[in-house]
Amino acid sequence: MTDFSELFGRRSPTPLPGAPGMVTSPAIVAVGTRWRCQRCYQWVAPADRLPNGDRYCRTCLQLGRLTTQDRLYTIPEPNRFPRLVSGGCTWRGQLSELQAQAATAVQAHAQAGHRQLLWAVTGAGKTEIVYPALAEALRQGWRVAWVSPRVDVCLELAPRLQRDFGGVEQCVLYGGQPVAYHYCQLTICTTHQLLRFDRAFDWIVVDEVDAFPLATSPMLQVAIDRAQKEAGSCLYLTATPGERLQREIKQGKVAVTYLPLRYHGYLLPPIQLKISWRWRQQLRQGRLPMGLQHQLNRWWQARRPFLIFVPHVADLSVVAAVLARNGLSGGTTVYAADPDRQAKVQAFREGQQRYLVTTTILERGVTFPSVAVAILGADDPVFSTAALVQIAGRVGRLASDPGGQVLAYCHSNARNVQRARAMITRLNRQGRRQGGRQC
Amino acid sequence: MLGCVWCGRLFSLPLTVAMIWQWRPLPQPALCPACREQLTPIGSQYCPQCGRQQATSEVCHDCRRWPDNLRNRALYCYDAGMKAYMQQYKFQGDYRLRLGLQAALSTALKRENYEVLVPIPIDQRTWQTRGFNQVTGWLTGQPFQQVLAVTATHKDRPQSAKTRQERLLTPQPFELVAGAGEVLANRRVLLLDDVYTTGRTLRHAAQQIYLGGAKAVTSLTLAR
Repeated sequence: MTDFSELFGRRSPTPLPGAPGMVTSPAIVAVGTRWRCQRCYQWVAPADRLPNGDRYCRTCLQLGRLTTQDRLYTIPEPNRFPRLVSGGCTWRGQLSELQAQAATAVQAHAQAGHRQLLWAVTGAGKTEIVYPALAEALRQGWRVAWVSPRVDVCLELAPRLQRDFGGVEQCVLYGGQPVAYHYCQLTICTTHQLLRFDRAFDWIVVDEVDAFPLATSPMLQVAIDRAQKEAGSCLYLTATPGERLQREIKQGKVAVTYLPLRYHGYLLPPIQLKISWRWRQQLRQGRLPMGLQHQLNRWWQARRPFLIFVPHVADLSVVAAVLARNGLSGGTTVYAADPDRQAKVQAFREGQQRYLVTTTILERGVTFPSVAVAILGADDPVFSTAALVQIAGRVGRLASDPGGQVLAYCHSNARNVQRARAMITRLNRQGRRQGGRQC
Repeated sequence: MLGCVWCGRLFSLPLTVAMIWQWRPLPQPALCPACREQLTPIGSQYCPQCGRQQATSEVCHDCRRWPDNLRNRALYCYDAGMKAYMQQYKFQGDYRLRLGLQAALSTALKRENYEVLVPIPIDQRTWQTRGFNQVTGWLTGQPFQQVLAVTATHKDRPQSAKTRQERLLTPQPFELVAGAGEVLANRRVLLLDDVYTTGRTLRHAAQQIYLGGAKAVTSLTLAR
């Protein structure tokens, strides 16, 4: 008997002849006077036609071109997996009390089939909180996907899940992956890869749901909905849900589990607003706002490492020059296209650099011990609400030094700063209720 | 606001006094400035034979090894940016991308001196998978004569998948279609292709065109 598992819950343009129960449908169908691609569910522009008149989809071209001549083949997901004892979980770690509470809530929502969000602050241990629910899902024979819009998140996660769920067959999918797809119970992939799945998953975990490009791409949002079964559900993980998701929470469309406390039980450091009038003009004249200047001197004399976030790459050299003139040596600048980016960040972490002037690239995914943060021009549109909260989340991540200052210097109390401060206040209010300590 | 056909971003061109003064329709480029920068146009110094960008104006090393002297001109260097364009246009089959280089090819064709334009054909299998001839896609209404065809017996891997030595040993893949003689007799012919790599394909084509009675054959490619 040949193996047809390749098509289980997939959406493939190549048929497997003789497969039992194979369902087929045209790849691009007419809806009224318009045409819609059945893989990415986006409209095909009227001009996207081949010389023979066939339409083709440009949106999902990267996955191989689909034209009106093509058909998509799928076999409805049969969940043909071996029975697992305790969901194949080999993790032996211990959750803290609050984490365990969150984990129970997540598991309950998952079992009830709710669309849900785990809103846990930066540095709360989100991955481990999902483990009990994941183990239970796998034990019941669910097919599960753990997806993220960022490929580096997937690549970092894959070995962890491999280690902690040793009993489950897994595969990792992303553009240009070295190994071919095979049918398995736990799939770790980028959100783009979900376009290749059709009603396949009982449960989808979406990591860093507010990250680019998922937040701005309707195609990927639809992909998540269409890759889960009719009765399936999904779980979003983030520290900073976007406005759309927050609105859905208010409307009651998404169940939410809060974890407003970090693993060490201290509250988030609040963002302090420092109005510095016309900071942009001052910077143009080669000066920093007086308050910022004094604050940096204080940190410098106390030998506290600090990060200065600026809105644009062009501002980096200006700020660095001003600091050097004022005698604050031993720091450097770093930005996305910097060839020495990794080395500089590593040097700062080890204490060889006393400060870093940086753009938003260091907003998430980095941990520095006992750091203080100043944001120059927090009212610039480059700093979204989510970015500001993530930046504030760099401070006080160590259990031994949970405090630290986050100062936002801006011309006015702009909406993004206001919202970020409100979000932190709200999370801290909830955290205090759960016994969070002020630091 | 214009949409770039390659990256999809919206962009606008700064309006200059000259644009208003000329009293013509505003230029509507299909590529945004950032995408256009990915492609490197060939400058004033190039090999007089194959049209390759180089530091001198002497016949290049590769051309000296060919016994004949087919004159070729190219628009762009075949660098990383051009490879990315070709990858999406030809191999992923994004026919819409043809709009990106139509304007450049149209100005280049006006500079060339020819009577009959002959695009290099593609074989039957490629027609089925790709659905278009990448060369004629760039033409905007310029008359051309499809006098060449790929021989039915020609079963081969694509040129782009071969090494230089293998490419040079490729047998003649083209034949003239019926009635080609009348079109070609005593005319100056310009061959049009996408990429000049070794020059093997264009020379095979030129050979057949000469057999059809053409007076002179030159060629133009998008990339070298």
